[in-house]
Amino acid sequence: MIKIAMIGGGAGGLITTSKLSSELSEEIKQGKVSITIFDRRETQEFQPGYLETAFRGTKPEKLKKPVDNLISKGVKIVHADCTSLDLDNHQILTERNQERYDFDYVIVSTGCSPDYSQIPGLKEANMDFYTDADVSSRIYSTLQTIKSGRIVVGIAGLPYKCPPSPNEAAFMADEYLRRHDLRQNVDITFITPYTRIYTAEPINEVIEPLYSERNIESRTVFNTDYVDPTKKEIISLEGDTVKYDYLFLTPPHKPAEFLRGTDFADDEGWVKVDKRDLHITDHDYAFAIGDTTNIPTSKAGVEAHLEGLVVANNLVMSVTGEGTKHFFTGRTQCSMETGFHRATFVVGTYDKPVKKIRPSVTNYAEKKVMEKIYWASLEGHYEWLFKYHFKRDYFAENPS
Amino acid sequence: MTTHNVDSKGTACPGPITDLIRAYRKASNGDIIILQATDPGVVPDSKAWCGMTKNELVSTEENNGEYVVTIKVTAKK
Ligand SMILES: Cc1cc2nc3c(=O)[nH]c(=O)nc-3n(C[C@H](O)[C@H](O)[C@H](O)COP(=O)(O)OP(=O)(O)OC[C@H]3O[C@@H](n4cnc5c(N)ncnc54)[C@H](O)[C@@H]3O)c2cc1C
Repeated sequence: MIKIAMIGGGAGGLITTSKLSSELSEEIKQGKVSITIFDRRETQEFQPGYLETAFRGTKPEKLKKPVDNLISKGVKIVHADCTSLDLDNHQILTERNQERYDFDYVIVSTGCSPDYSQIPGLKEANMDFYTDADVSSRIYSTLQTIKSGRIVVGIAGLPYKCPPSPNEAAFMADEYLRRHDLRQNVDITFITPYTRIYTAEPINEVIEPLYSERNIESRTVFNTDYVDPTKKEIISLEGDTVKYDYLFLTPPHKPAEFLRGTDFADDEGWVKVDKRDLHITDHDYAFAIGDTTNIPTSKAGVEAHLEGLVVANNLVMSVTGEGTKHFFTGRTQCSMETGFHRATFVVGTYDKPVKKIRPSVTNYAEKKVMEKIYWASLEGHYEWLFKYHFKRDYFAENPS
Repeated sequence: MTTHNVDSKGTACPGPITDLIRAYRKASNGDIIILQATDPGVVPDSKAWCGMTKNELVSTEENNGEYVVTIKVTAKK
């Protein structure tokens, strides 16, 4: 029996296992292949929806789905987190009863999460829309109490998931305040360590004028060092200060704990993979996809999706001996809401730089379509639509 | 004084400047950051970043499409 282990049952884990289970359904039925997901979570959340919960009051429950309803036929789940991964001996150790599982192939898709330990004072002062849906809803509860003062949003540290999300927070806070006739009493300041409001120049050209138009103040090259919650100040590494009354900053993110200190991850725990076929350096039976990798692209669901399909295709090929190898193109596609039913997209690949896309209602509608089909897409539906949409970026037949 | 070697080759979006900012956070005044990249944007971006943060751009070199930017950390409080 060939045992395939998937560590992490989020966006990347579910898409990959759904493709594997449908392509290897015969082998699973015959008992020749098994696929097992390891993840403690009993519910999954639609993470891009955290912004809606934070700034438009969408109920957290609307973003949640029981994991057992999302698992594809033929896939088993162990509801326990992985505490160690021994690639040389093909073994996973889980928290519950410290059980050991062996595998022939392993895929890591354990995502990333806020790391408040990097910035003293931030945890006490901040409310974020990254931790989970319930935590995001605290922002909306706070927004409803604001009558005047200064909201500070932006990037407190790198890396983090979904590069446009801090900018979206600025636009969505602005929209909320305008709709409630409070904007004249409340200032919004956006801080970023980058030299521009959005790091990629073509998108910056599109959104910088909108910041002026909407009167959103920006502080570029602001490297947050620490936050003083008593004085309500953010202090930069260079000693500059920004005052706030309400803080909705994007914290730096970290990978899962068990990856730190392994020889297949860098010194912060991001897994070192080949950026085209996603195998973990020096281990051709081990792969990592999604936010947990160190590859030079955005940490976003589209990447996890396309990387997962590449890995699943290549694994099916190894198991059945049929098919051709696929490679990841580096395609990214993150939506950026600019408020009032308009959005732009950050689109690029390893070889094609980010394009200038003007905000439009059509882009906003496309984003909404993606939201509608999100859960079904994790179960492997609508793949024809993604294939049509991404065209030559869906996968590559050659490594470069 | 420590030298921080940052390999950003193959990075385009969000770009080598992300790796530079991450290395800067860990560095102290007097440290040297050597940033290697293949994205030509690294040179103007690093120049702008040094100018705006008041860190010192020591040199930039180009060799067969590979860029090496050397920065001395001077602006931290
Ligand atoms: C506010 C916001 C807006 C976003 N907007 C977009 C967008 O517009 N477009 C886009 O493409 N992406 C967007 N994203 C990003 C997207 O949600 C993530 O990039 C995507 O979920 C990554 O998939 P993943 O499988 O790598 O990680 P996740 O989906 O986070 O899944 C990781 C899983 O691993 C599990 N896990 C962690 N540690 C362990 C362990 N030790 N053992 C076992 N399991 C473990 C977790 O429980 C989790 O279920 C957004 C995210 C946020 C927060």
